[in-house]
Amino acid sequence: MISTTWRYLGENWAYVGQLVVEHLRIVFLANGLAVVLGLALGIFIAKRGREALAELVLYTAGILLTIPSLALYGILMAILDALGLVSIGLVPVVIALTLYGLLPILRNTTTALRSTDPATLEAGRGMGMSEAQLLWRVRVPLAVPAVMAGLRQAMVMNVGIAAIGAYIGAGGLGQLIFRGIANTRADLVLAGALCVSLLAVGLDLALGALERLATPRGIRKEARR
Amino acid sequence: MIELRSVTKVFPGGARAVDNVSLQIHQGEFCVLLGPSGCGKTTTLKMINRLVPLTAGEIHVGDRDIRSLRVTDLRRRIGYAIQEVGLFPHMTVAQNIAIVPRLLGWPAARRRARAHDLLELLGLTPADDYLRRYPAELSGGQRQRVGVARALGADPAILLMDEPFGAIDPITRERLQDEFLRIQNEIRKTVVFVTHDIHEAIKLGDRVALMRDGRLVQHAPPAQLLSQPADDFVRGFVGTDRTLKSLRLTAVRDVMGASPARARIGDTLVAAREAMDKLGKTVLPVADDEDTFVGWISRTVATGSGLVGARVIPYLVLGSPGMPLNEALALMLESATGQLAIVDDERRLVGLVTFETLFERVRRPPEPPSASEVQP
Amino acid sequence: MRRNLILVVLLLGLASVTAWVTHIGRVGFFMMAPPEKLLAALREHVEIVLVAEAIAIAVGIPLGLLLSRRSFSRGAPILSAITSVGQTVPTLALVGVFSIMLGLGLRSAIVALAVYTVLPIVRNTYAGLTSVDARVREAARGMGMSPAQTLWRVEFPLAVPLIMAGIRTSTVLNVGSAAVAGMIGAGGLGEIIMTGVSLRLVEMILQGAAPTAALAILLDRLLETIGTRATPRGLRLALRRELAER
Repeated sequence: MISTTWRYLGENWAYVGQLVVEHLRIVFLANGLAVVLGLALGIFIAKRGREALAELVLYTAGILLTIPSLALYGILMAILDALGLVSIGLVPVVIALTLYGLLPILRNTTTALRSTDPATLEAGRGMGMSEAQLLWRVRVPLAVPAVMAGLRQAMVMNVGIAAIGAYIGAGGLGQLIFRGIANTRADLVLAGALCVSLLAVGLDLALGALERLATPRGIRKEARR
Repeated sequence: MIELRSVTKVFPGGARAVDNVSLQIHQGEFCVLLGPSGCGKTTTLKMINRLVPLTAGEIHVGDRDIRSLRVTDLRRRIGYAIQEVGLFPHMTVAQNIAIVPRLLGWPAARRRARAHDLLELLGLTPADDYLRRYPAELSGGQRQRVGVARALGADPAILLMDEPFGAIDPITRERLQDEFLRIQNEIRKTVVFVTHDIHEAIKLGDRVALMRDGRLVQHAPPAQLLSQPADDFVRGFVGTDRTLKSLRLTAVRDVMGASPARARIGDTLVAAREAMDKLGKTVLPVADDEDTFVGWISRTVATGSGLVGARVIPYLVLGSPGMPLNEALALMLESATGQLAIVDDERRLVGLVTFETLFERVRRPPEPPSASEVQP
Repeated sequence: MRRNLILVVLLLGLASVTAWVTHIGRVGFFMMAPPEKLLAALREHVEIVLVAEAIAIAVGIPLGLLLSRRSFSRGAPILSAITSVGQTVPTLALVGVFSIMLGLGLRSAIVALAVYTVLPIVRNTYAGLTSVDARVREAARGMGMSPAQTLWRVEFPLAVPLIMAGIRTSTVLNVGSAAVAGMIGAGGLGEIIMTGVSLRLVEMILQGAAPTAALAILLDRLLETIGTRATPRGLRLALRRELAER
């Protein structure tokens, strides 16, 4: 079974490569959106005086995360259909993955922004920084590692979930697995699984490296401790 | 009671943590294992209840080689207290204290009664209130008391304590030490107590075993450790202020010079001046007709004529015979005359401590520790 | 309070959507699943999840326990490698492989889900047991507890929160995996979704998807409550205190 999997991958590398690209496109698109939304929403709810709102938003995002992918795809398809929009393929899958990716990013952003050392903030204020300057020059840079960690978590999770998206026509590596199941070809299933796993592990490593790079040099040592 | 014979511990990797240590700890004795971190004191302690196995040598508890007992039986006979974090967070105070009794199969009612008594002994009252609480609901100091109560759970003859007061703020630590001394006076356990704090060692120990690099450097009563350090390491470890520390070990009554000269409030100033001249003093304590101490008379105020009573300098502080000398010294520094009047419970003048008395005391190395008890 | 409101609104919404699409009865040529068939599918779904979970717990907790013993400590890095890579394998693939190996149907689905679930349970059991403060463990030994007594009276109760968290996460994931298993003929709500997708019938997709989502949310909340209840009270207080002090 393993050897036929290798043979399949060797013979169909162009096709598999194309599926990998499709897969990555879905994941990057969704997580790109999740980062933008997560950051914006995170900064919004991390403001002082919005603790209750923050709790509600995070709680809701937590509930969304528990909804199984197939069910969420289905619900989104129904909503899109009711709105008269494209209800199949890439769109519902990207929306679903964006929602899934939101929680880790949102949670990490909010926590990081809230937990900036009060002494650091006071120093900034003392030097005459406005609240906006404090946010963009001090708190956000200090929150970057946490946001990156959230993104990494979201990415790895979404690589796996995206596979099921092939069932509603979003393409990607899931196609390989579904075709394998339909034709009882274990080599196709394993080839798909192998690629998805490698992709997840690879993204995890790459984003881990990026996380270290994105950490402001001054706090790198501290973060490692 | 506990005897270590040429005990050696070599950890895998070759580190010689304890090197040929022999030590005898008598029944009812409070033995402190003292030394800098990494000196092997904790390893030595843990070898006694076999948390750390011996590499060579023998340890006897009572008259049995510890290896002849089942390890769990040995440990259930020996109380073991560590820092407060050693409490089990998922168990109530009552359950924590009753762990060893339960392992020994005591019936529930007896366990409860025992836990109750121990809490009262350690001053956690009302005990019923504390029994139901969880460690998370206690302060650090309270948790530490529970830790000691737990070690006493099954009333073991021996208590091993590994820096039990280490993680506590200095004020609470001081109080816990005092209380533990009081309890130890009552229960007279054989205690082996590990610490790196020289003050704690001097305060608590009947004898102190000072260790360095796995070896026993000196095993002696605190006073001897301070006055006759075995070598430069001990001298350095006990500190340059060892004379000050040794003051703590002597009670005022041992140095105070009984029935000191005094003036009476009814004496004339002329008579007082004459008395001072005769004694070669510039200050005298003043007592009334019942011999109650009322204050001081000094050469500078005893001028002209009249009675002493009209010129008495009121006192600010008083000493008692049971007070350790270090406290007496602190009070003297606050006293208006630089001397300390020692009075009994009825405030009758019974003694006097001056700087000269103290000088004399610290210059002369104290012979075997004073017979009288130092009461805090 | 407002949290519960969100939860109730969401669950009621999902339930009424389900009731509504079931009530429609038919769309064009196609019959929706009748109420009794929907309920049967729901029951099947719960069964798949619970049986797979039970198997995974029965295997995973002893395995995690074994690995946490010192004599097996060499297995720990291997375990962490297997679990971290294993988590990246999509359930879909596992369901597929087992359906090919063991044939279509319920049995393959349960085996696939159980295999997938064992990993987080082993990992959390291991993490829970090894995260017990070394000083607490030493206190237990020092007072004369045997290794078995230390395990059952001290280490295990303290590991409960992490073990329960593992059970909770994996159960919720399994609700989704069981839906995917609908495609290999395991029954359950997944089958209704799959039929809906192949017929391009949004109403039928919703008929399967809405109760699946509700089931996942419900189980998540339920297991959170059970997890809190199962955690010894003193430990809960300690964790809360730790959180407050941070």
